[in-house]
Amino acid sequence: MGDSQYSFSLTTFSPSGKLVQIEYALMAVGAGQTSLGIKASNGVVIATEKKLPSILVDEASINKIQSLTPNIGVVYSGMGPDSRVLVRKSRKQAQTYQRLYQEPIPLSQLVRETAAVMQEFTQSGGVRPFGVSLLVAGFDDNGPQLYQVDPSGSYFSWKASAIGKNVSNAKTFLEKRYTDDMELEDAIHTAILTLKEGFEGQISGKNIEIGIIDDKRIFKVLTPAEVDDYLAEVE
Amino acid sequence: MSRGSGAGYDRHITIFSPEGRLYQVEYAFKAVKAAGITSIGVRGKDSVCFVTQKKVPDKLLDQTSVTHLFAITKYIGLLATGMTADAKSLVAHARNEAAEFKFKLGYEIPVDYLAKRLADKSQVYTQHAYMRPLGVSAMLIGIDDEQGPQLYKCDPAGHYFGYKATSSGSKEQEAVNFLEKKIKNNPQLSYEETVQTAISCLQSILLEDFKPTEIEVGVVSAGKPEFRVLSTEEIDEHLTAISERD
Repeated sequence: MGDSQYSFSLTTFSPSGKLVQIEYALMAVGAGQTSLGIKASNGVVIATEKKLPSILVDEASINKIQSLTPNIGVVYSGMGPDSRVLVRKSRKQAQTYQRLYQEPIPLSQLVRETAAVMQEFTQSGGVRPFGVSLLVAGFDDNGPQLYQVDPSGSYFSWKASAIGKNVSNAKTFLEKRYTDDMELEDAIHTAILTLKEGFEGQISGKNIEIGIIDDKRIFKVLTPAEVDDYLAEVE
Repeated sequence: MSRGSGAGYDRHITIFSPEGRLYQVEYAFKAVKAAGITSIGVRGKDSVCFVTQKKVPDKLLDQTSVTHLFAITKYIGLLATGMTADAKSLVAHARNEAAEFKFKLGYEIPVDYLAKRLADKSQVYTQHAYMRPLGVSAMLIGIDDEQGPQLYKCDPAGHYFGYKATSSGSKEQEAVNFLEKKIKNNPQLSYEETVQTAISCLQSILLEDFKPTEIEVGVVSAGKPEFRVLSTEEIDEHLTAISERD
């Protein structure tokens, strides 16, 4: 990929054995708006702040949470444009699998392929790593699952996780509140409370996004009205 | 042979700086401001318009050849703020995308999809070292079948958003402050109000009253969805209406 003049990797080892470009990419993620995900016994919820740079922006035009397949959704923290590339590639990978095997792709395999793409960009010539971490949520034959993928291309399955700005507070909060037998409705409430923790300003259905998947295996993004209903329940 | 981080090259090509920033992208934004003109876009109830300054630096130049407004299709207009040559490149790409879409899918490309394609192309330049980001911020206007009037802006970083009103260029921040006050109460602007809000915003932040030849105005409206550049007479009518109103 790229011009032959750049057929050497831009991500190289420092004398101490670190890949500094990846560390810097993680800083870009850390500067991004907070996102989190919680796996419940019967579903998964992912949520993010949707802070817009100005009231002039039409918030209905922005969808941070996207679906990759009908039963898999994703949210990011970090550089929005980079996330679009990954969403596009993942969707294509899912379709390729579907065409070949006539079956929906298992979540773990889609995550693995997406992570492989991210790893490529840390090693190929003339490119920089992606400045995003992804939280991928889905429900397949292995039940509800939540994965986090980092700019390095490493990925783990999580019971609950947070990425972006307020990550340490959010994770502490989640550790306290998480229980293994949590149900999806509880998880949604916990997700909202976690976002509220670090939220500057008035939280509403217009400045957060929530995506859920339950045992009916259809990923959907809640409308601002539905989010407002959950916010009212949490009060 | 140039080497990556650690040798200060995070300022020369689009690799991450130690704070996780992309300096080349930030410099591209500065190039948009350095062009010396400001552009405004406003979305109304059933129309959208954008306005930009028309600075002709040399009297010997053919004025009609100096323009920042481009028709991408019959129904979508693009206003490019920033480096002229980069703008032409972006416009050529946009026209190609729109034409291919029409050919392959059989219907006109929606504004938000075109904005996404332009933004995706810009994102590639922020990630691959062999091409620098373009020093252009592009505003797109059009009437969507389902969503109505649309105003989108794509920037060198690969971001794109839909807007109720926006601005680019040297006095971007002042313009945004002005527009935020106007749009705060969600006014349902008519066609005349849309155009006049955009023009008076530009006049207010630049502290000058324009002659019709000093600005360019492009519009689309639900009644007449084809993208149109206003003639000097039409601009004059709006300018007169503004000065009589004040």
